[in-house]
Amino acid sequence: MPYTFLSPSLVVVTLFFFIPLVMVFILSFTNLDMTNFGILKWWQPANWTLDNYVKIFTNRFFPRILKNTLIYVSATLIFFNVGMALVIALITTNINRRVGFAFRLIWLMCRLTPVVVYIMIWKALAGPAPMGVINKHILGPLGIGAGEYLLNANPWLFVILVNGFIGASFGMIIFSSAIEAIPKDYMIASKVDGASTWQTIRYITIPMIRWPLLFVTTYQTLSLLTSFEQIMLLTDGGPGLYETEVWSLTAYHRAFTSYFGNTQWGYGSAWAVILVTIGIVMAIVYLRVFKFNELIQEPKIDQL
Amino acid sequence: MKASRSLLSIILIIILVVSFTAMALAQDLEIIPIKMRARAKPPMENWRGLNFLVAEKDLNADLEALGDPRRVKVEIIQDNMEWGPLITEFVLSYGVGEAPDIWLTGHEYIGAQAEAGRIIPLGGMIEEFPIFNLVFDNLWVSTMYKGKIWGVPQDAEARPLYWNKTLLKKLGWSDEEIAALPGKIEKGEFTLYDMLETAKQAVDKGVVKPGNGFWTRPKDGPDFTPFYYAFGGETINPATGKLVYDKTAGLKYYKFFYEAAQEYGSMGCLGLDWSEAWHPGVISKVLFWVGGTWQWAEWAEKFLKDLGGEAYMWENFGFGLIPAAEKGGKPNSLTHPMAFLVSSQCKYPDLAVALIAKVTNYGPNTRHAIASTHLGILKGQTEYKFYKGFRLLSEALYMLDYTTFLPNSPDWGTYSRITYEAMAACVSGDFTPEEAVDFVVEELNRELGDKITIK
Repeated sequence: MPYTFLSPSLVVVTLFFFIPLVMVFILSFTNLDMTNFGILKWWQPANWTLDNYVKIFTNRFFPRILKNTLIYVSATLIFFNVGMALVIALITTNINRRVGFAFRLIWLMCRLTPVVVYIMIWKALAGPAPMGVINKHILGPLGIGAGEYLLNANPWLFVILVNGFIGASFGMIIFSSAIEAIPKDYMIASKVDGASTWQTIRYITIPMIRWPLLFVTTYQTLSLLTSFEQIMLLTDGGPGLYETEVWSLTAYHRAFTSYFGNTQWGYGSAWAVILVTIGIVMAIVYLRVFKFNELIQEPKIDQL
Repeated sequence: MKASRSLLSIILIIILVVSFTAMALAQDLEIIPIKMRARAKPPMENWRGLNFLVAEKDLNADLEALGDPRRVKVEIIQDNMEWGPLITEFVLSYGVGEAPDIWLTGHEYIGAQAEAGRIIPLGGMIEEFPIFNLVFDNLWVSTMYKGKIWGVPQDAEARPLYWNKTLLKKLGWSDEEIAALPGKIEKGEFTLYDMLETAKQAVDKGVVKPGNGFWTRPKDGPDFTPFYYAFGGETINPATGKLVYDKTAGLKYYKFFYEAAQEYGSMGCLGLDWSEAWHPGVISKVLFWVGGTWQWAEWAEKFLKDLGGEAYMWENFGFGLIPAAEKGGKPNSLTHPMAFLVSSQCKYPDLAVALIAKVTNYGPNTRHAIASTHLGILKGQTEYKFYKGFRLLSEALYMLDYTTFLPNSPDWGTYSRITYEAMAACVSGDFTPEEAVDFVVEELNRELGDKITIK
């Protein structure tokens, strides 16, 4: 009976996730591209080689793409998806409930806006002098800068801000609901014992929301690793050569874009397969570091 | 009662006879859907597809006169998709048996599609339409692959070097000097490095900002190849169809772009967004830039309409060939003709070719040429009343005498990407010209193996 209930999701996961994953894995060993599509028998082991992987690791721009990915994931994660989210959650749960709620709602706008519109707004903000909002209304009056296209002047700043503003809203919701769920008795008890706000946060709130912290960190690391659509729309990996190109964007570029149409599906798949592997390894590391097994054990004291 | 009954039966008989006749006629007339797919920037390039609607009526009239029971029904799909996705769409739609019958695309895709059997050679069919004899012979060369013709040229263009006359005047050039520039380029008296020197002067005197002396397109694409040709490079061995990379020319080419960026205050254009930054840049604050004749219509229509469109542009912009690399050398230009290809899934290629023949004529082609500022493709088109009346087309047509092409090779995309990456790395200062050549040789060997000859 339980299997009957599981079967719909099992079918969906198998059809749309597992089989494509296996196919991508196989494709990564072939040189399937636009020129030999329909000709190359990619499913035959005779056509499988490790060439794509050799090509990736010997690529001259490989270190730069790897570095970009690390900067992008860690900076966005630390400053926004976890850091900013935690700060917002702590502040909005410590002020008037309605005001806190309204603030969180406003912050959600970034996530609610369709991504193309959202990026267009950012481009308008960063635009060059006569049109760009930041240049015209902030930097201009203050006499800072020469009115250049800010996106080209500081691409990384914008890549991280654009992704971070969206990313922070996820952790914000999870953290604030977790903080709200902490029994008030602990807070009152700590106040009675004379704990400062910082001590309450440090010794009560943070340890109590350890599980949501683990969840958000893990989930957001993996989604940042594979997300590229904002960067693609914002800088498309530029403005300089591979300046803001991250791993998942490279996989996309190699597999699906080429000015002259020579898209390399096999080569792009190899980039994607490495990314999936990194994601799995990182997830396992996180679970170990945060002692996932202990977290999901039955509570020892709070039993009803 | 009896009368009404017989009336009823007469009516029934009439209905039967009429419907049977209609059915018989309908069976005789076979409606053949022909799907035509094009990339066209609206509104300038709409005639690429719209001409087929005119051709449809014309062809159906011909078929009717002949007593041919077939009638075509044209379906046009055109939008402003990028080239890469357009070709992906064609390949994938072919995979599921839904390829368009007529596919309009850049001639350089012919190699890959012909190799994969997705398009058919048109020899035998094009001879049946003498109108095709009017197409310039060198344009047919661009649609040849392995000795066969695989497509019909649709339009051509030049990729001139443009300059901003107002900025040149600020630099101290007289009207006469500016007016003489296209001629000096044509004679080989004004070289690529003369252009960079001028750009540097403009930067030094504050006429343009550093980086804005000379611009190319912001991304990989065909505009860089004429520079490689200018330094003596070659891309393909016409006899074997094998791609060629010339290291000596490559070094000069990378040295040019390296110095342009590092020493001559140019090339601040790579990675820019087309409509956010590139177009607004070239039309206002860049001294020299490489563009296409079709962009002339784009600037007039989209970017400079408020300032007076074409009239403003004639006042402020000038254009000429891509200068020679050395004094007395030959300037060049590159044309990238579009070609109509017929899919091998097309059931009636004869009708598809007949439609293509209808749009390959002075009227339809000139409409498109004027609206989109592409160059004509037909012999004697310059004498055609309406073509002659359009200033840009008549002033730019001489560039076809100096034109070069991209090679028709299935692997051109890979070649182009690698050589572009090295160029971009020179511009950003990541590579020296020597490192760029080493990188290109290494990557070309790795990606193309025995499909490339390094000289």
